[in-house]
Amino acid sequence: MNGVVEAAGVSKWYGEVLGLNLFTATFGPGITGLVGPNGAGKSTLFKLLIGQLRADQGHVRLLGENPWNNVPLKRRLGYCPEHNQLYGWLSGQQFVESLLRLDGMPTDQAAKAAADALEVVGLTNAAHRATRTYSRGMRQRAKLAQALAHDPELLILDEPLSGADPMARVQILRTISEFAKDGGHVLMSTHVLYEIERITNNIVLIHNGKAIASGDIHAIRLLIDEHPHAVRLETPQPRQLAQALARMEHVVSLEISAEDALLVRTRKPDAFYRELPAIVADTKLEVRGLESPDDSLDAVFRYLVG
Amino acid sequence: MSISLPTYTRREMPLLGRQQRVRAIITTGLRREFKRIGALVVIGMGVAITLITSIVLVLFAPIFLPGEQLDLSFFYIPAGNTTILFFVTLIASVVGSGLIADDLNSMALTLYLSRPITQADYLIAKAAILAPLITMIAVLPLVLTPLVAALLGLFSWAIAVEAMGVSVLIGFLFTAFYTAVTLFLSSLTRRRSYAAAGVFAVTFGLTIPAEILANQLTNSTILYVSPWEDYLAVARAAFGVQGGPALDWPWALAILLAAIVLASFVTYIRMKAVEVVSG
Repeated sequence: MNGVVEAAGVSKWYGEVLGLNLFTATFGPGITGLVGPNGAGKSTLFKLLIGQLRADQGHVRLLGENPWNNVPLKRRLGYCPEHNQLYGWLSGQQFVESLLRLDGMPTDQAAKAAADALEVVGLTNAAHRATRTYSRGMRQRAKLAQALAHDPELLILDEPLSGADPMARVQILRTISEFAKDGGHVLMSTHVLYEIERITNNIVLIHNGKAIASGDIHAIRLLIDEHPHAVRLETPQPRQLAQALARMEHVVSLEISAEDALLVRTRKPDAFYRELPAIVADTKLEVRGLESPDDSLDAVFRYLVG
Repeated sequence: MSISLPTYTRREMPLLGRQQRVRAIITTGLRREFKRIGALVVIGMGVAITLITSIVLVLFAPIFLPGEQLDLSFFYIPAGNTTILFFVTLIASVVGSGLIADDLNSMALTLYLSRPITQADYLIAKAAILAPLITMIAVLPLVLTPLVAALLGLFSWAIAVEAMGVSVLIGFLFTAFYTAVTLFLSSLTRRRSYAAAGVFAVTFGLTIPAEILANQLTNSTILYVSPWEDYLAVARAAFGVQGGPALDWPWALAILLAAIVLASFVTYIRMKAVEVVSG
């Protein structure tokens, strides 16, 4: 095996819970999407890849090396964790800079590299604000900035679009694409298939800790397109947003699921994700975040695994 | 799926060594503590109260402590000042308890360990954040007291310098004990409050019952379980004080050193084995 990332028969248990179940896959150069519902084992796989978990069985190789406790290998990686892990009292600039200094970058260069990375993700204007004042989308971009800033060979991004608003999503996907165009490799997890297809055709589907399919995204899309896809939009104006989205022909249903949330079901998720930023911009309605509830993806996976 | 090896080459950048990387964690940690009002209040009050009470003891010693010998042994009094125990415990609880627990809870540890640092680097940095703050209570007042006393002409410079040297040694012993034990407790939990409770339990949960039992049973060997009594036993020997509970200072010193080594070792093993599961 000689891919960028290789996993062979990897199993990981948390007590009696199986996180990964004989997971086997090889990820080549460029961008690869790891798609699966929450609890599928995506984060577990990523923690194994960055050397923070140890496989109970099988082995993983990253850039040809065993990642467990491999300190030099960490210089070659950029990792963006899923959950909010920012020290809220640090500004975006300080957050990225302090992590760059952990890479051994001199202070002056760290300051410049941090500013550059924040510019790449579109956070220059907010660079000197405390990160606790950031929206979820801004936090995701700040975490992406710290992963990119030291110029790694491989980016490992755990749900980088989770909770991000439409504009932040566009910015994040553009940044990832640019990184890959410059010769970097990206391994990105998501539970929204339709987002990752904008930037790559290579995906691995993971379910219950196993790689159940891998390869070209379009073949997999054909299998799952008939299932309506749910998107939960976080907005202070759910009624007005529902009116605007009702004009989309592919929208099957609209449900105001909470005072500040709208649940949309669509038969053409790719068209929905493509058209949403323009609708939000035209109507000037505020969308603070969007997520795809797991139940729709679970249905797809249940269908795929029979 | 392609299986060719990557051909991407990184831009070279000059990277600093381990020392600078550890310093980066320390800088971030100290910056955080000095932004917390609670930590600042505890540190400020601790330094002020321990320093003032120690100097007042020296200035008014002839009145409050008639007959007390004005030699090296006199400086056992500020070293045995119970406000030191109280504020060291408070600083360890307020600052130290969250040093690892907060990183585990917020999963900042995931970000730290995704960088090219080892668990040992991380622990050294955390110790280097806490230890200087504890020394501000456990060492600084003990060193300043003989200095002030010498400046006021109450003691000879020879005695004052000797007292300062002894104070530094026993102050660092006490600092090392509380640093090691606090980090150990902090590494066991994701909740800083649990670790803080553990620090108080180690201090008062061992000291007060040990003193009560030792008195009730008239058996001073029980006092060995109290780190404060062990520290006092070593301090009495170091300052040449006669009397006090019949604890052998070598045993007391051995107990404190063993606790420091054991707590550090177990913390290191725990951090080495910790698998960042959350997320």
